[in-house]
Amino acid sequence: MSKQPARAAAASKRLAEDGDICPVCKSSRYLNSTMQFKINPACYHRMCDTCVERIFKRGNSTCPIAGCAKTLSWAKFRRATFEDLKIEREVDIRKTVMDVMNKKEEDFETLRDYNDYLEQVEEIAWNLILNIDVEATTGKLERWKQHQKAELDAGPPLASGKGATQRKASQSSKKKDEAETGFTFHGLKKRVAPVKEAPYDPWGGWSIAPQYYVLQDNYDVDWYKRIKTDVHHVAGGHSLQDYCSQALRDAFGGLGVFIEDEILARDTPSMDADVGTEHAVAAAMSGKDANMNVNMDDVF
Amino acid sequence: MQLTEDDLYRSSTQFRKWSFTAQQLHAQRQKTNLSATERVKANVARVRAQRAQQAADSDSISSGVDNCSGASTPNVVTSAVEVNCLTAEEELKIVNDFCERAIALGTHNNFPSPVVPTCIQYMRRFYLYNSPMTYHVNIILRTIMYLATKVELCTVGHINVGPFAEGAGRNVTTESILAPEYVIMQGLRYNLDVRHPFRGVKAGNMEMLEILHGKYQGPSQGLKAAEVQAQMLQIPMKVNGPAMKMPANKVEERIHQAYSTATQTLRNVAVLTDAYFLYTPSQIWLAAHLLADEPLTLFYLNLKVPPSHPTYPKLLTTLRNCATLISSHRLYVYNTLPQAEKDAREAIHQAEVKKLVQKLKNCRDPDKVDLVKLNQAQKRDAVEGGALEESKAKRRKVARETYENEADAFWGPELANKAE
Ligand SMILES: [Zn+2]
Ligand SMILES: [Zn+2]
Repeated sequence: MSKQPARAAAASKRLAEDGDICPVCKSSRYLNSTMQFKINPACYHRMCDTCVERIFKRGNSTCPIAGCAKTLSWAKFRRATFEDLKIEREVDIRKTVMDVMNKKEEDFETLRDYNDYLEQVEEIAWNLILNIDVEATTGKLERWKQHQKAELDAGPPLASGKGATQRKASQSSKKKDEAETGFTFHGLKKRVAPVKEAPYDPWGGWSIAPQYYVLQDNYDVDWYKRIKTDVHHVAGGHSLQDYCSQALRDAFGGLGVFIEDEILARDTPSMDADVGTEHAVAAAMSGKDANMNVNMDDVF
Repeated sequence: MQLTEDDLYRSSTQFRKWSFTAQQLHAQRQKTNLSATERVKANVARVRAQRAQQAADSDSISSGVDNCSGASTPNVVTSAVEVNCLTAEEELKIVNDFCERAIALGTHNNFPSPVVPTCIQYMRRFYLYNSPMTYHVNIILRTIMYLATKVELCTVGHINVGPFAEGAGRNVTTESILAPEYVIMQGLRYNLDVRHPFRGVKAGNMEMLEILHGKYQGPSQGLKAAEVQAQMLQIPMKVNGPAMKMPANKVEERIHQAYSTATQTLRNVAVLTDAYFLYTPSQIWLAAHLLADEPLTLFYLNLKVPPSHPTYPKLLTTLRNCATLISSHRLYVYNTLPQAEKDAREAIHQAEVKKLVQKLKNCRDPDKVDLVKLNQAQKRDAVEGGALEESKAKRRKVARETYENEADAFWGPELANKAE
């Protein structure tokens, strides 16, 4: 091979790295200002979107860059956020790691434990970034993810109260976790499932306990029977039972309330006496023009 | 956390704000009357002084020319006589009479059942803190009736204020219906809920029939449904009368009869008394039922509250007091009188009311006669007479026009009025 093409290749390579010439089709942004470059997080090779459409639109295909044999899918192509694709890759890796390793400080017994945990997470991230033990690390991550998912899906823990036996059980389960996932996090608290929310009670726990009546399921009364079978009433969704309940409440609500006694007992005027006509008098007496005197008690 | 029916009633505004002892009620009416009287006298004196001042001014300007004009029609302001104000009792009589007119108005307009009783209670509540001398009953009644149709969700005939005003009589305009609305809402302390005894009496009737049919499940002092049923068939016709055996269909008739009598009493008499202020709806319907059929009502009551119960004597006294209040009303007494006597008494009553209404004409608060104009002055620029300072009026006008323009820009201009 002559030296000439090698030099040309080197030049085009440099241009491609600069991001102006597509390394696949060699077209230049200088000629096509709308050209956009895309990458695929499987190998982070850059190519123009025309090439992406041309090669991958119809299905998965291998990367056209020489020396890269990764199978890429069209859907995963995207515009790079960072100029430096190394950083782009690192950010992606950290994102996936953080998705799985998502414990917070309050999940640990001490701050020290939390810091140790963070260090382990950092180690995992760097292993992946530097391609050290990738297979083993991703396997571990995947198992940890499964483990956490299982923990989330499990119902609330059984009522405690067995003390020692339960602690033993939790220790043994911790050992089991370790064996399964390959992770040990010192001081990591066992996840406590949140208490299941009780259904909403619009009455805030209050209920009516009638002392003078019992609401029956049925009444052997003419109008009741008539309405019960009357399409016009039933179709509207009106509950006859509700009506009866309200009527009975009306019938006995206040039967045992003796107004005279209760009012004297509460011994305060039932309403502030300074309102109404009396207030208007004050206005009239003080000689102010009542029309112009805007106040709450006397609107006119 | 459990509530009894009584606790529920205690939470109502009717109990919290609108229940009184008889003394409180009386004292409040006196107080309202007193303040209104002072107010009327003060305002009349002020207006007279103003007129005198004006007369004097015009005298000094155009000396001696035609200075005796304008004093032809005597009214409160022009006549020099000391204002003769209504007493609290007279005020109450006028309000009572207009409450009766409300019933007639409701019947005439065919309003559904709860509208008129609600209207009447609003009237009574409003005039507890306001005097007819301040706000005339005739004006207030129309607006309160309109308010009641809205509150009771009266959908019959789709009451709009326009048709309502047309149906309310001559010279009644939409504005005159709407003008006092806010005053009334304030007078009612925004408490629009009125607890009536009508549904209660229906429930009572329902339970009595259930007892008769032997299917009663409520409190029965340890008796089985069949035993209660058997007892019901033996209720004497009169108090302390001999126990007797009645066929079931006769008893059913009796229950229906008692129900309809009690309902009539509630609708036509009880609403016109102070019962709603002094007693609870439950006590009111039982009292009306007591008047209709005492042995039956007592039998029913004894199932709910046994005579051995510590509050039983008190309850019975309360019911009897309420019954006395209802049965001493003029209209209830009429039921027991022969027609001629009834007519004679009614004529006397009407004459008395007419005199009072006439008297009211001469002691009205001159500041509150034209509520429509007052309402306009309050809400918008007073149309005439420089009632508002010029700058203020101008500012308001500008503000309103800006607002209207903005609204038009957003919503589009107002649709053409149908009436035009
Ligand atoms: Zn390309
Ligand atoms: Zn590649």
